[in-house]
Parts: sequence; C-alpha cells; structure tokens
Amino acid sequence: MPSARGRRLFIRTAKEPLQWFHRVTRFSGKVVLYLLVLAVGVIMILPFYWMVVTALSPIEDITAFPPKWIPSHLTPEHFQEAFHKAPFLLYYRNSLAVAIISVGCSVLFGLFAGYAFSVYRFPLQNFFFILILSTIMIPFQVTCVALYVLLAKMKWVDTLWGILAPNFASALGVFLIRQSIQTVPTALIDAARIDGASEIRIVLTVVAPLIKTTLATVSMILFLNSWNDFLWPVIAINSVNLRTIPVGIALFKDPYHIEYGPLMAATVISTGPMLIAYFISQKYVIKGIALSGLKG
Amino acid sequence: MAILSLSKKPSLLIHRRYQITAYFFIAPIVILFGIFRVYPSIQTLAYSFFRVELLRGRFTFIGLENFLDLLSDTIFLKAVVNTLIYVISIVPISAGLALILAVLFNTHFRLKEFFKAIYFAPMVTSTVAAAMVWLWLYNPQFGLFNVILKMFGFPGQPWLMSSHQALLSIIIFSIWKSLGYNMIIYIAGLQAIPDVYYEAARIDGASSIQQFFRITLPLLAPTTTFILIYNSILTFQVFDQVFVMTGGGPAYATTVVVLELYQQAFLKYRFGYASAMAMVLFLFILSITIGQYAISKRKEVVY
Amino acid sequence: MKSSKFIYFLVFAFASIGFLFNSAEAQTKLTLWYPAGQITAGAAHFSDKTLFTDFEAKNNCKIEMIEGNYDTLIQKIITAMVGGDVPDILFVDRSWVPGFLKEEVLEPVPAADAKTWLGKVNPEIVELSDYGKGKMYGYPQYGIDVYGITWNKEHFKEAGLDPEKAPKTWAELREYSKKLCKVDASGNITRVGLAIRHVGHPHGVVHKFLWGFWAGGGELVTDSKALRGGEAKFNTPGVKEALQLIYDMIYVDKSTSLNFPDPRDALLKGIASMQISETISIQARAPKEAPTLQWGVALPPVRKAGDRPVTNLNSWFYSVPTKTKNKALAWKAIQYINSEEKDYELCKKFSSTPRYKANWAKDPFKSDPYNQALVKMLPYGRAYPNNLGLNGIMEALGAAIQKVWHNEAKVDVALAEAEALANKAIKEAAK
Repeated sequence: MPSARGRRLFIRTAKEPLQWFHRVTRFSGKVVLYLLVLAVGVIMILPFYWMVVTALSPIEDITAFPPKWIPSHLTPEHFQEAFHKAPFLLYYRNSLAVAIISVGCSVLFGLFAGYAFSVYRFPLQNFFFILILSTIMIPFQVTCVALYVLLAKMKWVDTLWGILAPNFASALGVFLIRQSIQTVPTALIDAARIDGASEIRIVLTVVAPLIKTTLATVSMILFLNSWNDFLWPVIAINSVNLRTIPVGIALFKDPYHIEYGPLMAATVISTGPMLIAYFISQKYVIKGIALSGLKG
Repeated sequence: MAILSLSKKPSLLIHRRYQITAYFFIAPIVILFGIFRVYPSIQTLAYSFFRVELLRGRFTFIGLENFLDLLSDTIFLKAVVNTLIYVISIVPISAGLALILAVLFNTHFRLKEFFKAIYFAPMVTSTVAAAMVWLWLYNPQFGLFNVILKMFGFPGQPWLMSSHQALLSIIIFSIWKSLGYNMIIYIAGLQAIPDVYYEAARIDGASSIQQFFRITLPLLAPTTTFILIYNSILTFQVFDQVFVMTGGGPAYATTVVVLELYQQAFLKYRFGYASAMAMVLFLFILSITIGQYAISKRKEVVY
Repeated sequence: MKSSKFIYFLVFAFASIGFLFNSAEAQTKLTLWYPAGQITAGAAHFSDKTLFTDFEAKNNCKIEMIEGNYDTLIQKIITAMVGGDVPDILFVDRSWVPGFLKEEVLEPVPAADAKTWLGKVNPEIVELSDYGKGKMYGYPQYGIDVYGITWNKEHFKEAGLDPEKAPKTWAELREYSKKLCKVDASGNITRVGLAIRHVGHPHGVVHKFLWGFWAGGGELVTDSKALRGGEAKFNTPGVKEALQLIYDMIYVDKSTSLNFPDPRDALLKGIASMQISETISIQARAPKEAPTLQWGVALPPVRKAGDRPVTNLNSWFYSVPTKTKNKALAWKAIQYINSEEKDYELCKKFSSTPRYKANWAKDPFKSDPYNQALVKMLPYGRAYPNNLGLNGIMEALGAAIQKVWHNEAKVDVALAEAEALANKAIKEAAK
C-alpha cells in the first residue's frame, strides 16, 4: 500500500485482522449500499418523472416518434386545460373532508376496539375479531351493489354520508392497534385504574400516547387509502359538488383514446400536494418514531 | 414500539365488570361494519345460491348450480391459475425486497430521508392513476422502458402486448406499487427491536450478516407474518391494475378472479354466478390466511 | 287584538296561497348520464350547459347533465337501477343495449314517434334504430362510427402505390402491406403496413375485425334483428381465411406486428400506413395530433374482386330506463335534442355526420370531402345484432381472434371453441 494512511492501516490491521476485515467490508458495503439504493430509487421515481414531463410537454412531443425524454419546451397548456375542465379545488375539499372524517372515525373507533380486544376478555371476543377481519376478504366489486341498495333505502346516495358509509371503520386499523396495545405493560393500566381513572380516560390519556407511532402509521395508511379510493366514490356520487379527486381524474379518460397530456396534468395536480404534504410530515413522523421508538 | 407481537398477553383481565365496557368499546365498529360491510357480504353469500336477475328483481333458487358451473368454466379456472401465479410471485418478492430495503434504511447514510421519501412515493398515487402511467411506459413503440432497453442495445419487448409477458408486466407494476407500503411496516417493526440485542451481539463478535439472521429476522417474524397475510389478502383481490392495463387479455393471459367476477356481474348480468365466484375466492383467502397464521405461530421467538 | 289577529290571518293566507302556487309550478328535475371524454364526439355537446335552456323554459323543468367515467359507467348504471335511483335519460354505447334489453330496463319509444323518425332519417340510421318490425328503444346519436380503412397517402406514394386508391381485396391488402412496411438494420419493424388491434377489450378486437369476419361469410348470430334465438356462425372458410390472412401477415410476411397496440395511434404517428377502425377517430384527432397527415378513407377490402363490401356501424344512443318517473318528459327532451333543426345545428358545430335525409342535402355536409366519402360507405354498413347474448358472442369471438394471432391456438380449433361458447351465451340469454 503506497499511501501513508494505507501503511498505517496495514500496520494496525496486522495486529487486529478482524478489525481490518470489518473496515473493508463496511466501506465496500457502503458503496454497494449506495449503488443499490440509487438504482432502486431510479426505478421508483421513473414513472413520476415521466408523469411530470408528459404533463408539461406539448402534444407533438407526447405523440412524437421516437419519444422525447425532455420536452422541447414547457407548456402549461395541459394544466390550464385540466383546471379549466375540472374544479380541482372542489375535488380537494371533498377528498379532504372524506379522508379526515373517515380517518378520524377509524382511528378513534379502532383505538377503543383495539383496546377492548387486547385488554379485556369477553364472550364472543374471537368471533367478533375474526368477523371484523373477514370483511376485507370479500371483494368490494360484488358487495357494492348490496351496499348501494341499502344506502338508497336510507336516502344516503349522492351524499357525504354515502361516501363515508363503508369507511367509518377499518379492519386494518383495528388489527394494527390491537397488536401494538398488546405491548403496553398492564402495570401502567392497573396503576391508572388504582388512581381511579375511568376506562375511557385510560384509553385516551394512558394508552394512546404510548402507541403514538402506530396511530400515526395507521392514520397515514388510512388517509392514503381514502384519498385514492376510486370504485366506491364513483358509484356513490353523481353530483359534481361531491366528487372526490380520483373520480374527477377518471373523467379525463375518453372511451376511444387516452389523452395523456391533460390526464397526467390532472394526476400531478392530485398527487403533487400529497407528496409535498408527505415530505413535510416525514419529519414529524420520524421524530415521533425516534422519541417513542426506543421502548423495551 | 413493537407494532406487532403475537406473544402472550401480559395478563388476563377477567373482571366481569369490564365486560360491559368491552362491548361498548367494540360497539361502534361492530355496528358500523355489521351494517355496511357484513350485511352486504352475507347477501352476497346468499346470492351465490340463486340465479339473480337484479334489475328485474327476480331470484330463483338453484342450489349449488353456480358452483358446479364454476368448476367447468375454463375461463374462471384460468383466472384462478393466473391469480395464484400473481399472488405467489408478488407477495414473497415484495416482502423480501421491502425487508432488505428496510434494513438498509435502518443504517445511516447521506440523503437517507430523501431516498426514503422517493421509495414511499408510489404509495401516494392511486393504483388507477399509476397503472395508466405504466400502461404508457410499457408501450412497445413509445414507452420509456423499451426506449431504455434499446439504448443499451437490447430489443424492445412487447410487454402487455404479448400473452407471455403481460402477466409478468403487471406483476412488476404491483411490486413497484407495494414496496413502499411494506417498507413502512418493516421499518416500524425494526424500530421496535431494542438496540441492546445488537450491542450484545457486536460484543460477542457477530458480523452484520449474522446479526441479521439471528436477531433481526426472528424478531421481525410477527411483522413478516402480518405483511405476508395482509398482502396475500389484498393481492388475491387484485383488480384495478388488470382492469386498466389489459382488461384481462390478451387471450385471457391476465384475467384474474375479481375481473371475471366483475364481468359476469356487470356485463353479463349473472350476479348469482359472480357471487359464487366471490365465495370461492373468500374460501381461498380464508384458508391461506389461516394456514399462514398457523405456520407463523409455530415459528414464534421471544427473547 | 282583533286587528293583529286579522293581520296574522292575512299573512298566513297569502303565504299559503303563495305556497300553493309554488308547488303547482314545482320544477321537475331530469338527470341525463353520459360518458366523459374529449373525443367522444357524440357527447361533446353535453358540456354546453345551455343546451336545453329553451326546452327547460317551455316545459318548466331542469335537465342536469352528469358525466361519468366510461369504464365504470355500466357498473354505475346497473347499481343505480338496482338501488331504485334511476337517471331519466341514458346516453350510452349502443352495444350495451342488448344487455339492457335482456334485463328489461329500457323503455320502448312511443310507436308514433318511432314511425316518424324512421321515415325521416338515412338508411344507416334506420339500421341502428330499428330493433325489429319498427320497434325502437332509443335514438342513435349523430356522428355514427362507421368503420373503414384509413391510409397514409404519402406512404403510398413512396411505395409506388396510387395514393387515392385503397386496397380492394384481401390479396391486395396483403401485397400493399408488404410494400409499405419498413424494417431497420437489425430486422425490427419500424413501420407496419397494416396495423391491427389485438389487445384490450375483446369487444374492441371484434369490432376491428368485423370487416374480415362479415366479408368471410361469418355471422355473429343468424337473424341479427331478433332479440332471442339464432346461432353463431364462426367456422366458415371465409372467416378462417381472414384470420389466417392476418396471421400470415404477422408471422410469415412480417408486414405487421403485435407490437403496435393501437392502430389509430399508429396511423397518426406515422408508424403504420393503413388501419381499419372507426373513421371518426382519425377525423377528430388528426387536426391536433397529426396536422400534416394526408389520409384517405374508404370501405375495407373484400375477399375477392366483385364481392359486396361490408363494414360495421355503431353509435351512441339515447334511451330511457323503465323505472324512471318522468318518462314522457324524458322522451320529449330526447326528441327535442334530436330534432331536424338541432341535428343540423349540432352537426355543423361539431363537424359531424347528420342523420336526417333533409340535412344531408344541405351544406356544409353536401360538399365536405370527409362527409362525402362517408356517404358512399354508409349504405354498406351493418349494425351489431340485437341479440340479448351479444356480450357473450363478442367475448367468445374476441378471445378466438386473440388466441390465433398470439399463436396460442390453431384457427379451426379457436373458431370452433368460440362458436360453442357463443351459442352457449345465446341460449343463456334467451332464458
């Protein structure tokens, strides 16, 4: 080894062969790591890149052959068309309303149900738990009709409640919350009981803070599911002023031919803020994990 | 904070006085699910024994005829085979990749947060929108994938155009889409493993690989079980991407059970038949879930 | 006190009278569902919110036009109907109608109105409107899809072919395709002679092959007007020849390929010289997507010289569900929008083909080259059969076509299998 550093390394490692081995593997491991992460990262991001590029390319570029990676010039025309054709602010409002209410309810109900399933023993406990879990095993395409008929009788069709109906609670939420409550030491719960706290208060003030990360993770997953839910809103909504974003975007698709320009613009408009919100909230999610994560 | 632990509950609370509270606590969920999810599902079960003419409101009891028809329906059987191939390909690969990436992300390297966000990005889009993007990416003439292949001197592939490659193409898409979600769950699971174990192992001189196989993997078993089970349940019901990208073709190469069900119900108006399909699918999913759960119970590790 | 009571009484009296008047004048609300899209030429006018203003004023009603995503529209319609929540007017793909008729959810057009309509419109519109013995279940929209061969005139010139003449027979089609296709240095096809449709929904595959199927003597179902009964005839020598023709073009001549998914896109982008599909797509898209393209349109080629050409017709369709409460008003509204004046006005506005014989005689339709080309083709158009099992028939045939062209089955086997499945569907639907 020619360099001074190399010589020092050699001398030191001659005395501790194991350490030298670890150093080298750690370094080359890091390089491999970086390459792998980069490669997969490119694959992950490639479709988004294309989505954004198409949204900004003039039509001739989109239909050009051979295809163009980089638009010849940036056109706002697709975005203009998208905004002009569809009231995106309205869609946002609706999607947000639906998402917030359904996630709020799901987490709240899930919290209490998860606590009950985890902490208590009561008759038919397993039956109810399995019943809840099995609701996700039957495809929605077939249950949607029966659900719609029910809602029609309740006059909930084409209303906010109609969209929310199947989404007030989540089986996934109950499951995950139950699992994480099981790791809460009963000593804490017992102590709170001895102090005279009601069960409700225990759930909200003792247990919930301890499973913050789970609640955050569940909230995020449920929020995304609600935001991207397509099939049910498309069936349950008729009026323009109740449309959620996926329903709105689907209207850009023509039976004869997919017009990618405006469609991609619409998709960017709907996904963009979500991504940005996600990037921002990342920090807090990480903090949350870091603070509460190191529990034995 | 362990997201999952299937280990024994700390103590059993058998106090009678809590039973009523228990029912109160689960009431909202049970009632809401009962009305809006369980009831339609039971109706579906009932429909599978009838010839259902929904629009005319006519129901004729035909017993097991729907199920018998299913057995001789070559298209349905192809759909079942395709669905099984689909599930077996996606679930382990997606889970495996997610695990490796999650472990990678547990170490520290520059721009970790940035890359993490990129990996989670596919989760943020709706399946339908993403599938439409990929439909274009897979275009044999104009799609980015073939352009890249040609750049490196490889021939362009037919992707969704070929009855041999179409299913594979959809599988690749689904792995891309589900990776981020599985990573999140795994990362949360990893955070739950106390550092103490790793420190002890390091002192004992274990290499990273040994640490991975002896500590990480076993302690992640509950997380892995959950991911495998949940992904299976969802993947068996795949619909959106097939609907958007191929509509089941070419020549039934990509048709899956829920797509067949959808076509029977809404294009052929055979709602009873479609319900029977849903029931068969349900039984599949249930048995695989129970099977996976049973296997996982046996492999539990608690330190 | 007496006076204030009296005042209260007066106020109440006026209020109730006012209320009575209001209810007497209560507006009926009609909903109209249509598929969304930029190109769906026939639905373009629904985005104009003032479309029905005159009608609304005269009939004291409000018509709400609601667009839905095409892919999920049929599911939405069925679910709505089951739930009792029915729209008043449906604007749908005419190929969905047999399915609806099978479930008895469409209201027939009042007989007198049907008679008037059938007397005033072009023969191809009669073909699309008549469901047997003058019975109508709705009104076909203007701008019908007629399928024809469209080609790139410059490519023809380049290959030494007469740019004004489309191939007339299958043999010529094969020859032309060989001359027009281009291959690069490594043997990859960069331009196909004829672009074919073989992926996507089986119905679409069938639609774009009917030129060969019908010219080969095949029948989707014998007796195309009847709702029930009849048989599928797939396994004729002519149909086999047609399937084999394309198969040979793919694998033997290599003048076409499975790698060019959308024939219309391919033609517009210049990577195909010919394609057979609904001409309206090219007409509507070329100005924006391929403004310099010089293209021709003609009837698809026939099996041998002297055979009568045949092509397929389809259209969008106005209909009224049986469960709606406002039937009479709904039909009135449909007739309003499909009157002779409106037909002329909208066709002129959206550059589309009218339906009334009287309108064809007027400008701009009289002298527009595209419309005039269509006029020559329309008499040879055939509508899809009315059979209630149409969905099953199309699916069976579509699958067979795909299997043959994807080399998954031999022509005989595939067609025989498809014929059996189609007959099964016909029987099922007749129950």
